[in-house]
Amino acid sequence: MKKRLPTIFLMILFAILMLNGYGVQRFPKPEFESGYLQPETLQPTSRAEILGMLDVIVLAVSMAVVTWLVLKKRSRTGVFWASLFSLAYFGFYRQGCICSIGAIQNITLAIFDSSYGLPLTAIAFFILPLIATLFFGRTFCAGVCPFGAIQDLVSFKPQKLGTRLNTVLGLIPYIYLGLAILYAATKSDFIICRYDPFVGIFRFNASFGMFIFAGTLLVSGIFIARPYCRFLCPYGVLLNWISRFSWKHMTITPTTCIQCRLCEDSCPYDAIDMPVTDKNPESRSTTIRKLILICFLVPFLTVLGGWTISRMHETLAGVNGKVSLARTLLQPEKPTDQPEQVEVTAFKSSGIPAARVYAEASVVLKHFYIGSWVLGCFLGLAFGLTLAFRMVTTYQPDYTPNKGTCYSCARCVDYCPVGGNELTPDKT
Amino acid sequence: MTRSIFPYDSGNTQKIVSLLRYIAIASAISAMILCLLIAVNFIQVRRADPLNTQVMKVMIERMHANPADQQLRQEIREIDLLSRKAFFTTQWQIRTGGYLLFFSLLISVICIKSIELLGKSTPGVPAALKADFWITRKTGRKWVVYTGISVVIFSFVLVILTHQELGTSLDMAIKDPGNKEMSEYGNTRIREYKNTGIKEQGNADTVQQQDTVKIAAATNMDGYPSMQEITGNFPSFRGPGGNGIAFQKNIPSSWDGKSGKNIKWKTAIPLPGYNSPIIWNDRVFITGASETKREVYCIDLNTGKILWQKDVGKIPGSPSQEPKTIRETGFCAPTMTTDGRRVYAIFANGDLIALDFDGNQVWTKNLGMPQNHYGHSSSLIMYRDLLIIQYDQRGSGSVMALYGKTGEKAWQASRSVKISWASPVIVNTGKRTELILAADPIIASYNPADGKDLWQMNCISGEVGPSVAYADGVVFAVNDFSKLSAIAIGDPPKLLWEDSDYLSDIPSPLATGKFLFLVTSYGTVVCYDAKNGTKYWEQEFETPTYASPILAEGRVYLLDKKGIMHIFPADQVYKATGQPALGEGSSCTPAFADGKIILRGDKNLYCIGK
Repeated sequence: MKKRLPTIFLMILFAILMLNGYGVQRFPKPEFESGYLQPETLQPTSRAEILGMLDVIVLAVSMAVVTWLVLKKRSRTGVFWASLFSLAYFGFYRQGCICSIGAIQNITLAIFDSSYGLPLTAIAFFILPLIATLFFGRTFCAGVCPFGAIQDLVSFKPQKLGTRLNTVLGLIPYIYLGLAILYAATKSDFIICRYDPFVGIFRFNASFGMFIFAGTLLVSGIFIARPYCRFLCPYGVLLNWISRFSWKHMTITPTTCIQCRLCEDSCPYDAIDMPVTDKNPESRSTTIRKLILICFLVPFLTVLGGWTISRMHETLAGVNGKVSLARTLLQPEKPTDQPEQVEVTAFKSSGIPAARVYAEASVVLKHFYIGSWVLGCFLGLAFGLTLAFRMVTTYQPDYTPNKGTCYSCARCVDYCPVGGNELTPDKT
Repeated sequence: MTRSIFPYDSGNTQKIVSLLRYIAIASAISAMILCLLIAVNFIQVRRADPLNTQVMKVMIERMHANPADQQLRQEIREIDLLSRKAFFTTQWQIRTGGYLLFFSLLISVICIKSIELLGKSTPGVPAALKADFWITRKTGRKWVVYTGISVVIFSFVLVILTHQELGTSLDMAIKDPGNKEMSEYGNTRIREYKNTGIKEQGNADTVQQQDTVKIAAATNMDGYPSMQEITGNFPSFRGPGGNGIAFQKNIPSSWDGKSGKNIKWKTAIPLPGYNSPIIWNDRVFITGASETKREVYCIDLNTGKILWQKDVGKIPGSPSQEPKTIRETGFCAPTMTTDGRRVYAIFANGDLIALDFDGNQVWTKNLGMPQNHYGHSSSLIMYRDLLIIQYDQRGSGSVMALYGKTGEKAWQASRSVKISWASPVIVNTGKRTELILAADPIIASYNPADGKDLWQMNCISGEVGPSVAYADGVVFAVNDFSKLSAIAIGDPPKLLWEDSDYLSDIPSPLATGKFLFLVTSYGTVVCYDAKNGTKYWEQEFETPTYASPILAEGRVYLLDKKGIMHIFPADQVYKATGQPALGEGSSCTPAFADGKIILRGDKNLYCIGK
């Protein structure tokens, strides 16, 4: 039963992901007859530039400190306290915005829409963690990202998930990343922000759906360490790729591994690669055949993915406001108990001809067609390369952190008896 | 196996750990309770709709009925304020609960982390070796493939379920921005909101050019008929404008269905229906329907031959379930209408069809299943090139206008009314043309060109069946268990007089400049002075009557349910001109052509002529 707990939690978690929280403006503005004038709607002023710079400085300093704690001090406790600071600053003080995860969308939108003014802070939050990762691995995830910090805090009884679940769920972030980029590039929506589970907690204003979603993530996080980071985070995909090429990644042992196996179960994220010294039991010819197959399979999967997802472009485009409005206008109107959609009411009162909506929607639809081809190719390639990487084996004699999936949290460091962590003799 | 680095060798440490454990458990329990309360609060907020409670609705209805009641107004405001306060209090509770939950969890986490620190134990070597690397690798590959296949299958299922050829329909809509052509895909139809005024102006020229030319079958499918054409025909329920007045001449006043006297022809109607005939030139149109079949019939006015009958069939978007109606209403109670170019019919399931004069389908549409416990019965009417539909259903009253040529919506106005079985009436007040509708609780007037509200008066209640009558700037509205009201049109409208001695629940009243004739469904006819409500006479025929009276050549024609036509002059004194019998029961209102009356009996259609 205990072994099944993580699976059960994951099932609940993803069932909740399917729920759509929605808000209803139940209270219309009062209709005053006494000449009262409704106050003008005010937009909140943007954060002062100097404070934005302060955020960037705090980010840079935090990453430097965490990197130092991981690589030099090799201190799990230090990383823990640093993550608490990040949670307090980037989470509760800055209320989860701006964050590196959401910055993906700002960058994408800026690339596809020249009129969009990209804040420097967004660029910094997007780029700095990537650069730091390229040099030192995912120390950003270890102690700077508030999302990781809040999940790490509740990870009391982490359980192993097994190869199947890790493999299947580990593919979700690619889909999420692809969709987030597609919707940002087509100026449709910032889905990472819309479905951000923790911002509602940081701001104490979560909608019911998001409250349940975040609660489920955190409760499941007791048994499944960092479920969001591992199975949803789109930024994690980028960090994973870059970290594979990191210049100086954290190691479990500071000197030579003595093969004591103490660290084998230390990683709650299944991110420690076991030593591979045995020869592949498959014959050489079989392996070569499989490799050739993979060489053909990767481009095939890329095209298949593109073709498959491109069939869905109309469905995907439904999120776009213009397409949604055009679709509503094209549908035969049926009197129902439901009030008219506010978008339709707004459109009617705008005096804009429907032909313009159709034309704009048509353009967006074409963008979605191209975008969904790209998305599908990306997903096909991701699946293909995941398969390919599982064909290629690097023989290694020691327990090493997987550079892609390791969050550099330094938990395993505490388990290594080499280099100053020798066990205190048992007094009993 | 693991061993403790900091064993609980000290009694103090053990006590601290024990205390922390209790605090953690207590905090966790309080967090769970808070979580539950917040969830309940959320659900409460979501389900509650305080501004739309039954009490509020009743009060607002009362307010509509009596707008001058200041005390009631104040009460509504107080309830409104209380509802808003309750809402914001709940919001405050959720927010405060959120803070408490946060601090409970924080305490719990701090305690657990402290216990971990105090009870930190040394790592142990796993008892068993991990699964073989190569097997794990293989399993991983297998599951990548499974996931990929699942994604592809999921994508295709989603495509099948949601694909709508949206791109194609958008392209068609863009190519035809003026919506001159109908464009269809799947179950949807392209339509556009338009400025009706511009289009109407453009067509006015066309109409003037056509002027009085009567067309045997509409060859010019654009435009709309002139007033002369309209009054020369009988294009809708209760004649031109739905006002109960026929402009035809040489109308017969004696016949006998049994002997065949003055019966020009008699034609059996394949399917039953309570809709009344309409006439355009030499063609008569009616509909018939059963629970599963709906048909439109075109009959030659001169011979009675069914020229064509159109099976309406399955219209895209039509509900799969048949409508629930009562026997007295049936499945095709609404009368058709025509603009001389096309004929239009609506059925009890909301199916709407436009046909040309040769029976070819021009467009179809389903307006959604009418939420109507007796069955939809409001007849159609034309205003210029607009097809007007009164669609007052349970919970969603509305009136809409569709372009006759394409079925696209020109305008729609939502109405805060209950279900109505009455039909729209179009009148010309001399200053403007008005579309007048009756439904509990209002008589409401709209500009038929754009649906703009002109005026309304709260003076009717109950299940409204009779349509209004109009003459000389006065609208007459009546309903059973309500009252008869005479409303002088103006800004604002003025209630001239009221009476409640005789009321009608089905037949509509008939107004001339001087008189108002009210017919009850139990067969009593009452004549009032239209200006002041003075009762001139009442006549009890003692036979149930569902048909509405029609004025033709100064005489009132009223058909009772037994098929006897009561003909009497529209005068201050009742005097029977004749009571010819059809020989067959009828619930339908007669239609008139020059020298002819078309009567729909329970089973047959009759043409009476001299």
